[in-house]
Amino acid sequence: MKSLYLAFQVYLAFTMKSFQKRMQYRVANLAGLTTNFFFLLVQIFVYTAFYAVYTGPLPLNLHEIITYFVLCQAFFMLMPFWGTRSEVTSAIKSGDVVLQLTKPVDFQAYWFADECGRAYYYLFMRGLPTFLISILFLDVAIPQQPAVLMAFAVSMTLSIFMSAVITITISSSAFWTLDTTGIVGMSYSIITLFSGMLVPIALWPEWLAHIARWLPFEGLIDVPFSIYLGKITGIDVWVAIGKQVAWNLFFLGFGRFLLTRGFSRLIIQGG
Amino acid sequence: MHHLSLYFHFVKLRIRSQMEYRLSFVFDLFSQASVSVIDFCMIALLFNRFKQLEGWSLWEVGFLYGMIGICFAVAEMIGRGFDVFQESVVRGEFDTMLVRPLGTFYQVFAHEFVLRRVGRLAQAVAILLISNSQLVIYWSFAKVGYLLISLVSGTCFFIALFVIGATSCFWTVQSIEVINIFTHGGVFMGSYPFSIYRWWFRRFFTFIVPLACVNYFPSLFVLGKVESLGVSPVGVQLAPFAGFLFLGITMLFWRFGVSRYQSTGH
Repeated sequence: MKSLYLAFQVYLAFTMKSFQKRMQYRVANLAGLTTNFFFLLVQIFVYTAFYAVYTGPLPLNLHEIITYFVLCQAFFMLMPFWGTRSEVTSAIKSGDVVLQLTKPVDFQAYWFADECGRAYYYLFMRGLPTFLISILFLDVAIPQQPAVLMAFAVSMTLSIFMSAVITITISSSAFWTLDTTGIVGMSYSIITLFSGMLVPIALWPEWLAHIARWLPFEGLIDVPFSIYLGKITGIDVWVAIGKQVAWNLFFLGFGRFLLTRGFSRLIIQGG
Repeated sequence: MHHLSLYFHFVKLRIRSQMEYRLSFVFDLFSQASVSVIDFCMIALLFNRFKQLEGWSLWEVGFLYGMIGICFAVAEMIGRGFDVFQESVVRGEFDTMLVRPLGTFYQVFAHEFVLRRVGRLAQAVAILLISNSQLVIYWSFAKVGYLLISLVSGTCFFIALFVIGATSCFWTVQSIEVINIFTHGGVFMGSYPFSIYRWWFRRFFTFIVPLACVNYFPSLFVLGKVESLGVSPVGVQLAPFAGFLFLGITMLFWRFGVSRYQSTGH
């Protein structure tokens, strides 16, 4: 038990370091916040115009759409390849990876701790201010039942974990091709689209929504936000969270497999 | 003339160096195209659900999207020098430009050429052409000429934004990131008809940052929407020149900035 606690302390220290490193860029963060609100404003204009003339039934009303995109702007920096570039790839490319290998820590856990630090930074420096300012000026829905908020918190935490694990897994492709631009660009596009970050999946055509439901990426954005909006209720909440856990475990295992394979063929770059 | 041939010589050198890593280049191209294509996926998904936006169909908006996409891709391709200019200031490399017998604006402009933006450009051109094939547009020589002028003007508009960002380095050393609102944000908001925005938003993006002049108004003319929307036809025909004017003003700003330059040391 004591050793487990010690290990936790070590990784927590890595997380804090990663957090502090990003705290250096506070002015850039302010600019980023401004950009967030600009995009949010345009998104609201666009949806307001669409909703103004559409008469048919819709799964989300305008009030809910605005809330959805407020949450989107609050959390998108935590999503894979959206915030500052993951350092896994650059460590492999530059050969710095060898320094991490000499440390008596688990490689995947180390990067996970690092990614968590990144996530906490964006959660507190971007997400929280975006959300709080939005509540003041926009028509944002706030769940009334504590159970919904609890479920959202659990689901969002799983989303953040999955984001970290996906980032590490995809970045470790640098073991095979030093240039990951193509793979990262491709993954970024697929993840961004199928997470529901651009358009809520509820508004998609049936066949495409069906594909999205079978992919893990809806668990990043669409699932936690739908829980927040009360669109997923009762037993379905447990099913949705269960799916998130399963995908987390899948990426954890797959990432570990890739890392082990990667190390066995690792050639250190530079000296 | 000498400047022009020298510029093409620089471009040739840039392309040659970027082609050294051929596989990398292909990956980049691929990545660029796939990243920008999801923006259009978003528009297509919205139209699939809502059918129309204030009288605009999917392909009319696609035309708008293609236009702004082309302008931004070309601006990023040729105007990249201003985008990365802050590094020159941080490292004190701008000093060397000052002693060369060429204008500083020209040198920074000719400093970079990013061929891989062709990926994004191809995607935007494709959307424009598909939109055109889905719409009934009566093309005349005048219209084609007008469209080309608008595209050049739009490119100037984005380069002007890069120049503003670069010029701010003379005071702040770091480029002001707020400029991203107008570049990336401009592409995003320029992909939708301006009439959906509030009046103060429209005014700002017409008279102060003339995004509407290089994109929305020209598209009205090309798509034959001028009469139905009650916009002044003369105003629409003159609108694209705002892009050139905007670049001209930022060049003056650049000149002023250079006169205030203090080296960070080398």
